Amino acid sequence: MSIRKPSVLFALGLVTILGACGGESQQPAGPGATQAAAPAAPAATSGTASVSGRILFEGTVPPAEKVKTSADPKCQAMNPNGLEKQTIKVKEGGLAEVVVYVKNVSGAYPAPATAVTLDQSGCTYQPHVVAMQAGQTLTIKNSDDTLHNIHPRPTVNAEFNIGQPRKGMETSKAFFDKAEVMIPVGCDVHPWMRSYIAVFTHPFFVVTGEGGSFEIKGLPAGEYEIEAVHEKLKAVSGKVTVKDGEAGKLDLTYKS
Amino acid sequence: MPHDAQGGVPAGFRTPPSPPAFDPWRYRWAVATALATLVLVFIGGLVTSTGSGLAVPDWPLSYGMLMPPMVGGVFYEHGHRMAAATVGVLTLVFAVWTSLREARQGVRRLAWAALAAVVVQGLLGGLTVLYLLPTPVSVAHACLAQTFFCAVVALAYATSREWLAAPGAREDRAGVRPVAAAATACVYGQLVLGAVMRHTGAGLAIPDFPLAFGTLVPPLTTLPVAVHFAHRAWAVAVLAAVIVLARRGRRSGERGLARLGLLVLVLVLVQVALGAAAVLTGKAVTPTTLHVAGGAAVLGGCWLATLRSFRLLRPQAPQEAPASLVEARARP
Repeated sequence: MSIRKPSVLFALGLVTILGACGGESQQPAGPGATQAAAPAAPAATSGTASVSGRILFEGTVPPAEKVKTSADPKCQAMNPNGLEKQTIKVKEGGLAEVVVYVKNVSGAYPAPATAVTLDQSGCTYQPHVVAMQAGQTLTIKNSDDTLHNIHPRPTVNAEFNIGQPRKGMETSKAFFDKAEVMIPVGCDVHPWMRSYIAVFTHPFFVVTGEGGSFEIKGLPAGEYEIEAVHEKLKAVSGKVTVKDGEAGKLDLTYKS
Repeated sequence: MPHDAQGGVPAGFRTPPSPPAFDPWRYRWAVATALATLVLVFIGGLVTSTGSGLAVPDWPLSYGMLMPPMVGGVFYEHGHRMAAATVGVLTLVFAVWTSLREARQGVRRLAWAALAAVVVQGLLGGLTVLYLLPTPVSVAHACLAQTFFCAVVALAYATSREWLAAPGAREDRAGVRPVAAAATACVYGQLVLGAVMRHTGAGLAIPDFPLAFGTLVPPLTTLPVAVHFAHRAWAVAVLAAVIVLARRGRRSGERGLARLGLLVLVLVLVQVALGAAAVLTGKAVTPTTLHVAGGAAVLGGCWLATLRSFRLLRPQAPQEAPASLVEARARP
């Protein structure tokens, strides 16, 4: 049988398209399963003063969101109980995974020779928040038996997108040469994967661990503005003055 | 003066004095290519809607492989590449087939032009991946997709029994020909605006619908809001054009044009609903992607109406001036 009417064919094509829409349609999952934060590798510092304290959170912590990993059966197998996304991690009033750094630093600080590692493990990034110096080597690992692409979206540094299709692959490079806080990192294969990288031109920074405590060492004497940056919350800051050999104290509080 | 029955038809597409025989299989192949292109546009829409455009970071291979694991975003991006390769092969076969069997030079040239377009389209797709989705390349990729679709629709119609039959003798008293061409141009412009909106992330720049920030005309202070609003405003022009096309198609006396005009009008109304749904659902994958494919369908419909009207209707003969007017003009 021959089909003669172009308009009939056109309508047939539309039906085909609309029929195709009834099939699998995967919503992009939300970002990031959370992981423990890791402090940056220590760099060469010259001073003897330090600043320590806690990043506190006052308010209601939103409930964790369930993340669907069914888009990749291997991710699902690695997380049989599912993944949860909790960006505000509070323990005993202290907020984890906050980048705390000194804003007003002068002088040149060479990048440390040690590399900072960002691992893709269990279809999540470990650690969730990375802080490093500009020019420092970042080693990206794939510990999963599935493929990942690593796609940071910086606004100051150069964007890149690399693939690691096999388990055990590693890529090491000084990817970032300018200060930038914070660079979101994602995997377009697994949209729930999210990490953040903070890059500084000096070594006076740290990422808070569980409980929100921090300590920045090796500061020369002086008055400093300390800023705390969280992936979702607005930055908070405070000032502290320290003398050589002294340990200054500063707590900063996020209020929701 | 004798009436030119093929008036408005480019020389290379005119039916020769002894019309070529209808080749049903080549016609079906062209129709299949057009349908496959529409499916490809839908899958391309899925790639953007699911944020999978960079799920495969390399090109032309995928993670160094011909067939990577089809997981997560790779399913959409590599699936799009596979569908594109299929359309490329369909177009290549059609071009070779047409070269061997087609008497009309214009049709042969259009078939090769379509093949060139699909190759360039593949290169643009590769470039947009390798250069991390630069807006001009992504927009060009989206627009060339629509242009290629129009070329394939034209090829399908040029090989159809309807085109190969004698041209229509009915005069275009309703004025379908100009309005169909105008509607096609309107829709193409709308698709360019849509592509710019989509690839500059302006899809939710105006978060409410049907109003825009609670007013009819929002403050056009930022580019995303301006682009988004232009897409909405131009939709009104598209709707007006297809309403006129449907009315004139109904009055044309050609059942095919009447039905096609109505179909396009219904499609545009569905498009408006899908556009609203895309905004109100925060760009949910299904309505947003259907909106992209629907745009291509509207363009294809208007373009087919244009081709049909130029084939089935002859231009309106110039009205003879009343004798009194001729006389008046003749006076010094």
